[in-house]
Amino acid sequence: MWASQFLASVFVQTTPILLAALGTMVTSRANMLNVAIEGMALVAAFAAIAVGQAENSAILGFVCAIAASVAMALMFGFVSIVLGADFIVAGLGLNILAAGGTLFLLEEVYQNPGGLRPDTFPDLWRVPAGSLHWLPVLGPALESQSFIVLVALAAIPISAFFLYRTPLGYALRAVGEDEPAAVAAGIHAARMKLLAVLISGAFAGLAGAQLAMDRLHFFLPDMTSGRGFIGLTAALFGAARPWPTAGAAFIFGAFGVIGDRLQLFQAPSQFVLMAPYLAALLALVFARWRATARARPAAVVGESR
Amino acid sequence: MTRARVFARLASALGPVWAFLAVLCAGFLLILAISSDPLLAYRDLLLSNFASASNFALFLNRLMPLLLIGLGVIFSFRAGVFNIGGEGQLYLGAIAAASVALALPNLPHALALALPIAASVLAGAVYGWIPGALKVGLEVNEVVSTLMLNFVALLLTEYLVTNPLRDPVAYGAVSYVVPHSSWLAEIPGLPGSTVGSIVAIAIAPIAWVSLFRTAWGANLRAAGSNMRFAETVGVHGKRLVLQAMAISGGLAGLAGGFYVLGIGHRFEQNFSPSFGLVGLTVALLARLHPIGLVATAAIYALILNGAAYMQIDTDVPRSLVALLTGILVLIMTMRPRRGPAEA
Repeated sequence: MWASQFLASVFVQTTPILLAALGTMVTSRANMLNVAIEGMALVAAFAAIAVGQAENSAILGFVCAIAASVAMALMFGFVSIVLGADFIVAGLGLNILAAGGTLFLLEEVYQNPGGLRPDTFPDLWRVPAGSLHWLPVLGPALESQSFIVLVALAAIPISAFFLYRTPLGYALRAVGEDEPAAVAAGIHAARMKLLAVLISGAFAGLAGAQLAMDRLHFFLPDMTSGRGFIGLTAALFGAARPWPTAGAAFIFGAFGVIGDRLQLFQAPSQFVLMAPYLAALLALVFARWRATARARPAAVVGESR
Repeated sequence: MTRARVFARLASALGPVWAFLAVLCAGFLLILAISSDPLLAYRDLLLSNFASASNFALFLNRLMPLLLIGLGVIFSFRAGVFNIGGEGQLYLGAIAAASVALALPNLPHALALALPIAASVLAGAVYGWIPGALKVGLEVNEVVSTLMLNFVALLLTEYLVTNPLRDPVAYGAVSYVVPHSSWLAEIPGLPGSTVGSIVAIAIAPIAWVSLFRTAWGANLRAAGSNMRFAETVGVHGKRLVLQAMAISGGLAGLAGGFYVLGIGHRFEQNFSPSFGLVGLTVALLARLHPIGLVATAAIYALILNGAAYMQIDTDVPRSLVALLTGILVLIMTMRPRRGPAEA
């Protein structure tokens, strides 16, 4: 029983991370490090609660969350791809804009900088209790999860299929691996990058909607608290391949659950929370180390390169 | 200088001015839309910094970290390293200064000041050197490594300030107050200020001379714009990159040390409102020029500080500045990328 409960917590913790990871994975494949995923998810979380409360409709809140996040992605893509801004700097700027903009709206529209807490909030569709009893361990863990959890799980094979089995996915990866060659082959590079950014915007929207609408039903300033960045590290750790990326997201989600449990025992959770970042850094160093170690024998003149 | 070059220089110097003006106009329109007294709000935002000595001191306090981090960014970017780890280096410098000052309470004044400052510089320098070494040794992307190291530094200092260094009687996660012998002096006549701000301003021309008027600086910039060419003509490019990263981190660490010893007198969790990112922004706005940085950092500190007064006097929320900062950062690199910023 405790295994199912632990797994259920892991699903709750992992889903926003997994969605952010898949989003950044797609942009990484187009050779863009999408640091703006954090801000996009934050705006989505705000839109989900604001619209969901105003219209008293979960589905409208959900749709608007994704629309808001895609609009942010469109702005990001326009500034960095069309107008040639540096995408790291622009992405970090978008994060500040998202944090500042949502706080500004909280203060200006809702007169409450502490957050947006509707008294009642419509719930999302959930997996009905008892419907998955025939599945051992996994079944009870999935029951009563929101449908976004299922979407996130389905998104793993879908994104793999998209990247490796569709012409659009080929073109997108070609732009990332060798842009001049892709352009020479007739691929519209800017369009592919914009597509990747918009896809990551949709993923970020799902992540933000799940975060705000699943259990909490409220919005707090900076409520994403680094989940977008952890998703980014998961994509780096998984070398931007769908299944390893998803695996890393689950490991990091489990770290989060363990960190929360440790906090109950007054143990320092910071070191557990640090693990994803250190793991991603070490994975990157290890990958580069292997690459240079392999390249070394070819460098005859002593110094590598 | 030919007329074309003069014009090109003028255009590149005016670029950031346009970005600032565009953002100030956007801000004015926003304030006009939401405030009942937009003129008072804007007067506060821009002029209240000079209304009293203590207001001006707070302005200088905000200028100091932006200036030091920005100078560090200039060193690393000129060496071709896209160092976005200023925030982490700042935090490590601050916690190092606080730890050393708290661990050695009974030192004579000179040592009580020198040792924590040295510790802050050393901590930042080591933390900047690591991604530099990973880049020149293994070609690990420095954007990713400095981003990751930022989170590690934030969590590490959070652990230290909530556990061993925590002042249990104080409100919030703050360390014990450092001993008085470790406090930096105030600037005479400006209560609440610190001489650290003067030091920061003084370092700017030193940075300019070392980057643009010495052989070392010329080699460093050569390594930054074309490493293979620099190594071919006999410049020890990799060594210079490591030095630039150590200087870059050391300056950010020094900002943390100055903050603890001169402003906060203790380590406070979340003491930085994204100084690292804003320092990067003002350095890029100054086109990676140390003297230009003094101007862009000053304008930014002015607005950041003015917003606090604007919020007190009027109905305009302070988060407006965060919003405008986001717009500024988002649009300011809008141009074909070129030069050393391309990493």
